[in-house]
Amino acid sequence: MTEWRGERRARDARIAAGRAHATGKVVPAVAVVDLLEAILRPGDRVCLEGDNQKQADCLARGLSACDPGKIHDLHMVQSGIVLPEHLDVFETGIAKRLDYSYSGPQGARIAKMLYGGQIELGAVHTYLELFARYFVDLTPNVALIAGVSADREGNLYTGPNTEDTPTVVEATAFKNGVVVAQVNEIVDRVPRVDIPGDRVDFVVEADRPFYVEPLFTRDPAAMTETQILIAMMAIKGIYAEYGIRRLNHGIGFGTAAIELLLPTYGEKLGLKGKIATHWALNPHPTLIPAIESGWVKQVHCFGSEVGMDRYIRERPDIFFTGADGSLRSNRAFCQTAGLYACDMFIGATLQIDLSGHSSTITQSRVAGFGGAPNMGSDPHGRRHPSDAWMKAGREGQIVGDPALMRGRKLVVQLVETFGDKLVPTFVEQLDALELARKIGLELAPVMIYADDVTHIVTEEGIANLLLCRDVDEREQAIRGVAGYTAVGRGRDRAKVEELRARGIIRRPEDLGIEPLDADRALLAAKSIKDLVHWSGGLYEPPAKFRNW
Amino acid sequence: MAGDRSARPDPGSLSWYEATARQRVAALADPGSVREFLPPTERRMSPHLPLFDLPRAFDDGIMVGEATLDGAPVLIAAQEGRFMGGAFGEIHGAKLVGLLRVALELKPKVVLILFDTGGVRLQEANAGETAVAETMRAIVDVRAAGIPVIGLIGGRAGCYGGGGLVAGTCSRLAVSEGGRISVSGPEVIETNKGAEEFDSRDRALVWRTMGGKHRRLTGGADAFCADTVSAFRRAALDLIGRAPAFDLDTLEAEQARLEDRIARFGDCRDATDIWRRLGVNDPEAVPAMDTDAFDATVARAREIDHDAR
Repeated sequence: MTEWRGERRARDARIAAGRAHATGKVVPAVAVVDLLEAILRPGDRVCLEGDNQKQADCLARGLSACDPGKIHDLHMVQSGIVLPEHLDVFETGIAKRLDYSYSGPQGARIAKMLYGGQIELGAVHTYLELFARYFVDLTPNVALIAGVSADREGNLYTGPNTEDTPTVVEATAFKNGVVVAQVNEIVDRVPRVDIPGDRVDFVVEADRPFYVEPLFTRDPAAMTETQILIAMMAIKGIYAEYGIRRLNHGIGFGTAAIELLLPTYGEKLGLKGKIATHWALNPHPTLIPAIESGWVKQVHCFGSEVGMDRYIRERPDIFFTGADGSLRSNRAFCQTAGLYACDMFIGATLQIDLSGHSSTITQSRVAGFGGAPNMGSDPHGRRHPSDAWMKAGREGQIVGDPALMRGRKLVVQLVETFGDKLVPTFVEQLDALELARKIGLELAPVMIYADDVTHIVTEEGIANLLLCRDVDEREQAIRGVAGYTAVGRGRDRAKVEELRARGIIRRPEDLGIEPLDADRALLAAKSIKDLVHWSGGLYEPPAKFRNW
Repeated sequence: MAGDRSARPDPGSLSWYEATARQRVAALADPGSVREFLPPTERRMSPHLPLFDLPRAFDDGIMVGEATLDGAPVLIAAQEGRFMGGAFGEIHGAKLVGLLRVALELKPKVVLILFDTGGVRLQEANAGETAVAETMRAIVDVRAAGIPVIGLIGGRAGCYGGGGLVAGTCSRLAVSEGGRISVSGPEVIETNKGAEEFDSRDRALVWRTMGGKHRRLTGGADAFCADTVSAFRRAALDLIGRAPAFDLDTLEAEQARLEDRIARFGDCRDATDIWRRLGVNDPEAVPAMDTDAFDATVARAREIDHDAR
């Protein structure tokens, strides 16, 4: 007899074991370890909701306190490795194998543990890719998720940081998995139902509200004139040139500077309504002046941002909000939007090589990539035209029938030639290759491959890689904007001048930009407090960003 | 727009916090009246820094000079917070001390010190500490000669370390919301006492404890102004007229006030507790207040203004 219901029976048994520690679905915080030991089995695939921002931290503390004699060799499948507990479980043997996307704050420790062999690494994914695998070969047996509140039936309100939750629950609940949600409070009625109760098996009332990291707040007070110059070049040489309306921004200071220049420099160039109207973007506080001055039509969000809740509630024409008024974010949908519905991705990186491959992985830090490889790739499945996409396609086409030409997504790297502590951004070879060799990765962790990159912008100029016709031209175009780094100094001067004559390299003066005009006076907001004023007092910055 | 860079920026809109030391001085003084002493073109640089492989600058992070303010002759020193945190080094200190000493001969109406400093430059610690001591001595001499010394504080680096000590010897201080006055900085306190005692990343806490509003409410600063150069100019002109006498009575009153402050507020856990005892009705609302609302709060609070800071 073929067994068709084994998984379902196993699931029922886990839930029955867990019920011993619950009243209905509700479990007190003190019983978390007992609950987890009851529902987990050695070798389980577990998603311990670690998103880009929100963290199921109460459940993480619980999991790391489980007895490794009972719970061991788990296979963790989660997008974010953010909390210390996410790695503690590998030190105690509770977990063994890892598939993830992003590990910003834990990047250094994860590198050490990979070298030390404590973690068996599956792969470093892009978000969409990991989500896709939840439905194919990395379906969780147990999902440990986080929400703001739940009722006793398990109906869940995630709050503005919905993020990965619907995706994780979809994959787990509909494939015989167990879903445990930690919430800040149990209520009689949730403000809105983000996850229906029949997909949630246990609700834990957490000992303290879940942790959310303010990842997308860039203090205008820290913005430099170099970053402003780079932002001016990008606006004039790329946004205006291609007429970019639909876009995604990275989280660096360069793109934050662009956001703050739209209402000033962009306005002066007469670009309002012509660029930067529709966004796939977290609610960046630095976008407030552009929103308030009528530049922005619509923003869909991956997650939220600490302090932006009240502002978003009062701007439902701009943001996606629920019937309760608060933001509804969704990482999977927003990543899809960034991939297929945006004409440009623009962001920073730590290293770029001579072909234009880039990575944020260095030998001492494995930060992961989050959404960048997905945002920063040319989707070959796209079939709808736009002016920006078609123009880039024409520039990039070398051979073939023009009638069969397809467009190109603009993928722009915005970097200073020297990064933090004067480490050169441009390198002969990415550290990622050395890392791959050392820990035996089959695939080197490249963030954006060279053939996806269309432009590189530095304080020295813009390199348009679409217009390069061979490998040598591409290398010289990159060297030609690499400033005083070793890579930049290694340029062939005559070739670089030729590329400049052809418009492949454009200096600030070629764009009609006077570098001395790159002044902080151009920023629509020069401080966090200015952003609060722009928002009419609706933006409530977290304490670490205040200077009053 | 930056446009014409030779134009004098509008002091009414120029942010003190954002401006460079020279922009502050140019916009603070009467138009066209500033004459800098030992400008960068003189290239007076430390002979010792190259021994440590450390960068030198032609002005060492401070500009000193003479100007007129409302027609009266004044001497001005302005620290450049963007150059190594405005820290006191050898030449930096020598220029400041020299300016104060020449005040005894030139007899200006006031000496203005535009503080923007993290304190003594670590790599020139001995020279810097000496400079701080010499500066305090020189200020005492200038004040004893009947010339007020007024400190203006609202720069990015705040007024820390030796700068905080020097500020304590000035006749009067004006501060803006962004300005901070203290001796040990937030990171130093956290390093020595732990994040539980003082979390340096909690910037709201930092400003509550060391920021302009707190210093004004406790009487540590004598004027609070908006973050514009013209507001600082008005404050400076006003304070010149209210400079206290420099005599034994004033010093004894200062000592008595310090002792009283410890007695009254020594058990407070947070600046808001102090504000409450000072008679501020809604201390939690103070950080978010604009200048007008804060001025009204100061006017209502008790015993803030005093010849003894």
